[in-house]
Amino acid sequence: MNDSEKLLHLKRLILNEDWNAAQRIFKRLDELDKELPGKMDTIVTKRLDKYTSEIPEKLGPVITQALSEEIKNSQDRVVDALFPIIGKMIKKYIQKEIAILQENINKQLRNTFSIFSFRSKSKKGTPKTIELIKSEIEQVFVIEKGSGLIIGSYTKHATVDEDMISGMLTAIKSFVEDAFQGGQQSLELIQYELYKIHIQNFSSYYIAVVISGPADDSFRSKLEDKLFDFSEQYMKGEVDKLMIANKLANFFAS
Amino acid sequence: MSVSKKIVLVGHYGVGKSSLIRRFVQNIFSDSYQVTIGVHILKKTVPYKGEDITLVLWDIEGKENINQSRTSYLLGTSGFVFVIDPTRDTTYQNLKEELIFLEKNYPKVPVIKLVNKSDLINIEEFQKVLAIQNLEIDFFSSAKTGENVENVFMQLVSKMLGT
Repeated sequence: MNDSEKLLHLKRLILNEDWNAAQRIFKRLDELDKELPGKMDTIVTKRLDKYTSEIPEKLGPVITQALSEEIKNSQDRVVDALFPIIGKMIKKYIQKEIAILQENINKQLRNTFSIFSFRSKSKKGTPKTIELIKSEIEQVFVIEKGSGLIIGSYTKHATVDEDMISGMLTAIKSFVEDAFQGGQQSLELIQYELYKIHIQNFSSYYIAVVISGPADDSFRSKLEDKLFDFSEQYMKGEVDKLMIANKLANFFAS
Repeated sequence: MSVSKKIVLVGHYGVGKSSLIRRFVQNIFSDSYQVTIGVHILKKTVPYKGEDITLVLWDIEGKENINQSRTSYLLGTSGFVFVIDPTRDTTYQNLKEELIFLEKNYPKVPVIKLVNKSDLINIEEFQKVLAIQNLEIDFFSSAKTGENVENVFMQLVSKMLGT
């Protein structure tokens, strides 16, 4: 046995315990190396889920605070951004309400001062309003904006091909909206002798309603509410042509 | 239930867009030229792989450049047919740029490139003209004789449905 072999032997004798401890540590480190990613992933995912669920509660007030401060500090910019939209909405609403009010006043005046009402008054003491022509919904078309393809329709009587109607209506609507360069305004009414086509615009589609009779502003206002209800109830998510047709029939047939 | 698709025919005025649609839908042809004002819409239902496909065909007025066409007429289109007239080089001299315009603004919408009035030309000679200008065409057709008209639309249906 030479010197180096003797030294190695001596090292093994003296450091045997430390050597084994070091081996155990290395082995454990290897095991941890393998186990750790799995364990960490679970912990991180849990933390992340918890954090996500707590965002509204924890960050909500902070975001609200930051937003209100930002709005407060840049009121002019906010007003500039919102004015065209809100202003247009308010203007439209006021115009509509004034039109309804004016229509009611006119109706009242007609009833009060017409020959019929005088006769009626003289007989019974109070004037009576008689609806000679009633407004009725004849057809309803739900049409995709852009393509002009029909999403669903309801019709009282057999009519010209609904695909052609929806295509032509879309073309006319697009033409009017483009040609007169009224900004972001939309065509809302087409009128021809005894019929009116009321057009209600939504983001990805529009609903065209063919009405016979006078269809005054108050009738159209009620119709508008009905169309908003219909849209809210049935036009969410995936829509099926047949389903929409059935719903339209149920909704507007009465 | 049938599937509906919007198809728009584009190209310069007088290339025969209306004639192609009339030949396809009503199987008729007239030599008298009537300019299309605005848009004319026709429809045809075609059978495809056991299903009925309703094609709503928008015949829009011809423009000297596609970017002059009314954007609202092109929106929501499922397929384009770009028509050129081989007897008037102005109808195809900017074809590449016009196709780039369509690709940029209506990505993933298939376009069929079509030479109409093929009855008026020597097809082989015209193919040489196209080769010189490095233009690729899908069909030679004639609204007058009806040649390839049906094939153009069926090819487009196949492209639109991705089969």
